[in-house]
Amino acid sequence: MFALILKRLISLPFVILAVTFLTFIVGYFAPGDPILNLMGNQRDQAIYERLRTLYGLDLPWHEQYLRYVVGLLQGDFGLSYRFAQRPVIDLIRDGLPVSLLLGLNALLFSLALGVPLGVLAALRHNTVIERVIMALILALYAVPSFVLIPLLQWLNYQVYLARGSALPAAGWGRPEHWIMPTIVLAAASLGYIARITRASMLETLGQDYIRTAQSKGLRWSRIQWVHLFRNAILPILTVVGPAIAFLVTGAFVIETLFSIPGIGFLSVEAISQRDYPVIQGTTVILALAVVVMSLITDLLYVVFDPRIRVNA
Amino acid sequence: MRLHRHRVALVCLLGLLVVIGAAAFGPIFYPQSAIRLDYAAINALPSAAHPLGTDNLGRDTLARLLLGLRVSLLVALYVETLNVLFGVTLGLLAGYFGGWIDVIVTRLADMLFAFPGLLLAILIAAVFGEAVTDQLGGVGRLLLVAGALSVVSWPLMARFVRAQTLVIREQEYVTAAVAVGAGTGHVLRLHILPQLLGLVITSSTLNIASVVVNEAVLSLLGLGIQPPDPSIGKMITDAIPYLESNPLQVFFPSFMLVLIVLLVSFLGDALRDVFDPTSR
Repeated sequence: MFALILKRLISLPFVILAVTFLTFIVGYFAPGDPILNLMGNQRDQAIYERLRTLYGLDLPWHEQYLRYVVGLLQGDFGLSYRFAQRPVIDLIRDGLPVSLLLGLNALLFSLALGVPLGVLAALRHNTVIERVIMALILALYAVPSFVLIPLLQWLNYQVYLARGSALPAAGWGRPEHWIMPTIVLAAASLGYIARITRASMLETLGQDYIRTAQSKGLRWSRIQWVHLFRNAILPILTVVGPAIAFLVTGAFVIETLFSIPGIGFLSVEAISQRDYPVIQGTTVILALAVVVMSLITDLLYVVFDPRIRVNA
Repeated sequence: MRLHRHRVALVCLLGLLVVIGAAAFGPIFYPQSAIRLDYAAINALPSAAHPLGTDNLGRDTLARLLLGLRVSLLVALYVETLNVLFGVTLGLLAGYFGGWIDVIVTRLADMLFAFPGLLLAILIAAVFGEAVTDQLGGVGRLLLVAGALSVVSWPLMARFVRAQTLVIREQEYVTAAVAVGAGTGHVLRLHILPQLLGLVITSSTLNIASVVVNEAVLSLLGLGIQPPDPSIGKMITDAIPYLESNPLQVFFPSFMLVLIVLLVSFLGDALRDVFDPTSR
């Protein structure tokens, strides 16, 4: 197990390095001159040269990349094109808490709802209740977030018509801004978590030790708590990793459509403005999050189920 | 159970054929312009002139939906073609030969997987979008979107194919074929590829659901199909501000999208059962 952790920890910086390289190359070969963009209508050769040197664009590509990676190691993500030479790390520092808050809310919400739904579906196997829950899971899978958003906003509008007050349609700041984005973001991982929970519960229900416990006359409630949940809950913990990947992806669309100033919004804005240093910075941060979470997931598998020997 | 499954598959297949038929031949039977502005009917509800109503510029929703559907399905077709070309070829080579080919393909796939979700596709579509549209027009943009989406989805296909090839390679009939002196090309073509067919068809079908949704995401972020050409994703988000006057504008494209996702998912699940009865 120690060897596995070590192996994954060693490969982690290489994956991140690969991500930075690919992002850098896409930016390097991008058509158009970012400095000319930056200067607008101004055409002064001296200023142009100075800006080119400031952003390091006068260097050959491998020196640019080297400079970027060395900067990353020191926590320096470069300067933004769009926001008059603001350091990218400042922009990320502004956006990250917003995205984390939204993501954490959504994760807790989807766990709080998804796990009980999955448990209920498994305990009421082959009944109407299970079928209703499965239909809900399927609906959550088939309805993408950008379809769910207008649906919620339409409902919100109906509430407004009926009561004269409703949730804000977009924006960020007060807690009532959180509600709709959290629901939409949680919906994507909710179905996934409920499905995995149900599968894990059903598998545990079929185990011999459950039958043994039943045949020796234990009360069902005791079997549930001591034998069933304790064993079924372990695989559920490991879905948190993939669920967070869901949340990151969902954040692009949801932060954009709700005008929430998080990392996803920052990234999409930067992409449409061709602000490459910001694009690179947000990509590295998000990739880091995904890679670290998948590492933690793999570790959880080993910690909670010693029978698994991951040879990756 | 099997018979029931087949019936579901058949219904989904028929439904999908109807959708494809509507995208292919719909504009012929319904020759309304998708970009003509009708100022007399802005955000109009369904009527005889506009069977599904109009949008905020008075453009006919049915005509736009049919064209948008065509875009979605064409992108899906291109992406799956690219996935089969790259994913199957590389996965097959990596699985069969192992060694350095395997290392390169697996590492490349790992690297692409490290990009969260659609980020790489968004990046490619954004960076090269404008230049491609200038040079090659709308068709070029469509191909770029398909290419960008394929970059993030072929690694999955390669991973599936590689895993399956590793299993097939060890089968006795393959060993026997090699033992009687069959060439590598012969073994790959006649003994391994046919065994992969079911897997490839199933995972391509299931993948269409996410491609259709992802194309919509690219378009609604303004990176996919450019206005005035319609795209289902853009139709949905463009109509959101007018929910109060005409909620049907959001409903029709949303319904179409969800319908495609459901049809394709059920069909894919049923195909998996048909091709691999042991997996259940």
